[in-house]
Amino acid sequence: MAVDITLLFRASVKTVKTRNKALGVAVGGGVDGSRDELFRRSPRPKGDFSSRAREVISHIGKLRDFLLEHRKDYINAYSYVMSEYGRMTDTERDQIDQDAQTFMRTCSEAIQQLRTQGVCKLYSEQRAIRVKRVVDKKRLSKLEPEPSTKTRESTSSEKVSRNPSEDSEEKPVTEEHPEKVPAESQPELGTWGDGKGDDELSPEEIQMFEQENQRLIGEMNSLFDEVRQIEGRVVEISRLQEIFTEKVLQQEAEIDSIHQLVVGATENIKEGNEDIREVSTLGPPGPPQCGTESRQQRSSCWQGGTSALLWPSPQGSPPDGAGQSHFDPRQTPDPRCYQEP
Amino acid sequence: MAAAAAASIRERQTVALKRMLNFNVPHVKNSTGEPVWKVLIYDRFGQDIISPLLSVKELRDMGITLHLLLHSDRDPIPDVPAVYFVMPTEENIDRMCQDLRNQLYESYYLNFISAISRSKLEDIANAALAASAVTQVAKVFDQYLNFITLEDDMFVLCNQNKELVSYRAINRPDITDTEMETVMDTIVDSLFCFFVTLGAVPIIRCSRGTAAEMVAVKLDKKLRENLRDARNSLFTGDTLGAGQFSFQRPLLVLVDRNIDLATPLHHTWTYQALVHDVLDFHLNRVNLEESSGVENSPAGARPKRKNKKSYDLTPVDKFWQKHKGSPFPEVAESVQQELESYRAQEDEVKRLKSIMGLEGEDEGAISMLSDNTAKLTSAVSSLPELLEKKRLIDLHTNVATAVLEHIKARKLDVYFEYEEKIMSKTTLDKSLLDIISDPDAGTPEDKMRLFLIYYISAQQAPSEADLEQYKKALTDAGCNLNPLQYIKQWKAFAKMASAPASYGNTTTKPMGLLSRVMNTGSQFVMEGVKNLVLKQQNLPVTRILDNLMEMKSNPETDDYRYFDPKMLRGNDSSVPRNKNPFQEAIVFVVGGGNYIEYQNLVDYIKGKQGKHILYGCSELFNATQFIKQVKCTLLVS
Repeated sequence: MAVDITLLFRASVKTVKTRNKALGVAVGGGVDGSRDELFRRSPRPKGDFSSRAREVISHIGKLRDFLLEHRKDYINAYSYVMSEYGRMTDTERDQIDQDAQTFMRTCSEAIQQLRTQGVCKLYSEQRAIRVKRVVDKKRLSKLEPEPSTKTRESTSSEKVSRNPSEDSEEKPVTEEHPEKVPAESQPELGTWGDGKGDDELSPEEIQMFEQENQRLIGEMNSLFDEVRQIEGRVVEISRLQEIFTEKVLQQEAEIDSIHQLVVGATENIKEGNEDIREVSTLGPPGPPQCGTESRQQRSSCWQGGTSALLWPSPQGSPPDGAGQSHFDPRQTPDPRCYQEP
Repeated sequence: MAAAAAASIRERQTVALKRMLNFNVPHVKNSTGEPVWKVLIYDRFGQDIISPLLSVKELRDMGITLHLLLHSDRDPIPDVPAVYFVMPTEENIDRMCQDLRNQLYESYYLNFISAISRSKLEDIANAALAASAVTQVAKVFDQYLNFITLEDDMFVLCNQNKELVSYRAINRPDITDTEMETVMDTIVDSLFCFFVTLGAVPIIRCSRGTAAEMVAVKLDKKLRENLRDARNSLFTGDTLGAGQFSFQRPLLVLVDRNIDLATPLHHTWTYQALVHDVLDFHLNRVNLEESSGVENSPAGARPKRKNKKSYDLTPVDKFWQKHKGSPFPEVAESVQQELESYRAQEDEVKRLKSIMGLEGEDEGAISMLSDNTAKLTSAVSSLPELLEKKRLIDLHTNVATAVLEHIKARKLDVYFEYEEKIMSKTTLDKSLLDIISDPDAGTPEDKMRLFLIYYISAQQAPSEADLEQYKKALTDAGCNLNPLQYIKQWKAFAKMASAPASYGNTTTKPMGLLSRVMNTGSQFVMEGVKNLVLKQQNLPVTRILDNLMEMKSNPETDDYRYFDPKMLRGNDSSVPRNKNPFQEAIVFVVGGGNYIEYQNLVDYIKGKQGKHILYGCSELFNATQFIKQVKCTLLVS
């Protein structure tokens, strides 16, 4: 005996709603809440193509802004309380990664929808942005395990992430910025290091840290180079793909026209054959009137026969490649098949 | 009128499941058109409940295209409704919330096997809100199906977490009160679900001072609370359905395993109980390890390959239904007979084929011919039946052969006979010591079982010297003596010296060697295996049931407690109000049961017209498993 508790469920939904409103939203949850709204809106873009594309771009921009704001907050927070920051970033990072991943997924879905409508440029741009973002994220996550130098990397990476996202439309500028950043970060690192050394660290530790800094800077530089190369390659790949799809579409159109021509040619040839046959069987032409009449009659009946030949049986489907009905496995099998002995 | 209602718990549970799969709209059979395609998500509990009742084909008929475990990786299928059938545990709820967040399906029909608490419901509501999927959660139901039905009249509480409610869990000495409470709550919850599905409020009787009493008290309380709550009562008239017996209520007899420890150890002779004892059999599925290549391997050259095969022994299997309670030789005979009749029918069909000149063609071609249609159509229409019969014969041949191998290897017939004699206190023709020291007969476990039965049923404990002798013999044979310790202490503790001793009178009449019965060409060459005929005996559980059901007065059962949840006043009186014999009864063994008891009850009720019994237990174990549990459960010395 099953008990329907759907009403109870709806009631609990209402209580949860009111409870959430009463309590407000938690600190970290604020960002995520608004991002949830973004997510809710973005997975199902409606309307025509251009507005959709614009929407997606704006979402990506908003996400970028939120991420930046987040980083800023945390940097501010760091300068006063270190331990709190450590805790927050771990969970926040996980959350951000998760959310960003889902967002990427939805964006890629949206982008795929857009793609079929044939605007490859925007698509390649979006892809480039997306790829860059993924690479950035990977870089960020790689920097996790060193807590003491976390903040410094985060500042430098923040600048890196900020720059490519701001100049997403202009690729050459993007490539320039990462070069500037290492230069910027170095003096910053120096100041950070000094500031820290006064309170807790002995001179040997300062030296160690500085050596480490140098090493890290070198690593970062190599990473930047690699990333730049990858970016360039990816952009090339996207361009090539765009060309490829264009070509394929062109070829499709051409093939269609060729097909039509061939069908017409076949028909003509058939008719020609029939005419020739008719002429040969008729023998010497009789009185012009009767002959033409009979020829016309016969040619018309031949034509009827020809069309019958062209469309032999209902089972052969007309040669229309594009119009194939989608195979539905649930369709009952064709009852005509059973009638054949 | 009263007979039909409680008849088949299996049917009721199946109907409830089908209704649930049909989105909780009563399922109309023969409805035209295809069903709505859906996905079924279950956890292990749900799997155990569904698997003995519905085959995959039946699931497909209900429209289930895909059935998946809850805690597996599932891809999103965005335009399909999903039916969930899970227990409302923390992890399940978490996983469901995750599904909601990931937007896996189009709509969600949530069904909880037992009732879900309000706070967990709010957790789901929270997740649904966060994922803005509230409208997608179409229905939420408490199904009250938290028990597993194995036969028409037999059910078990659970399979997945049976360690929680095992004999050991209930009887171990170091159990705390809170743990006991949890165990009892689990059992009571399942029993409550059972009665909700059955649609009846029973009258409860239980013995005093046992775990069964605790269960009875709690169950009574739960039923009472539910009945008082007029708004949400699950037992109101409209939900009970047609055929509800309004005059008669069933009797629930709650017994504790400890009243009879000999039966779980007993060697058995009926088909189903043997399969359970000797082979790997649970949830109506038996797993065999076949060593193929025995018959056709040339002089030991080819090594025996061991295939694992599993068979489902379902209610559709007519042979099984007929013979699961028969003594084994009868089963062997019947398999032989079935095989012969099958061969006769097959020959008939072959003859027809050769007459038509279609030797060697497949059966499908036969239907093409037009002459002699009547004969052919009848032959053809009987072919699926024949094939099914062949499959069943193969199945049972394999199973029975495996059982027979065990019997021959361990001389189980000898043990059975001897134990019967012990339990009925007829004179023993062979000394116990002889059997124990015999290296050919049986595994060490068999010997341990035999000795324990002897020990349990003995009127007075054997003398120290004898005991030492026995112990030495047992250890020589390779037995672990821990179970003996336990039984000793149990016996002392239980003060039930009188009760388990009387197993009723029985005689086993050996009908001599059986080899003549088995015709040539048979695989059941039971040379040296005695054909023992069981005479009806009543195990303790059956006796108790008999007393209570027929309102007989008996010192054993007179001081059983009496609960009636429908009565306004809560206190029980030992004097039952109802003086009439009961027509329906449910026997539930707290602490574990087995097929021997079930079979005994079935045999008992067969003789009574118009009465029905359902048998349930908190878990189902065979002797091996029982000994394992007992080994680890030593009372504090």
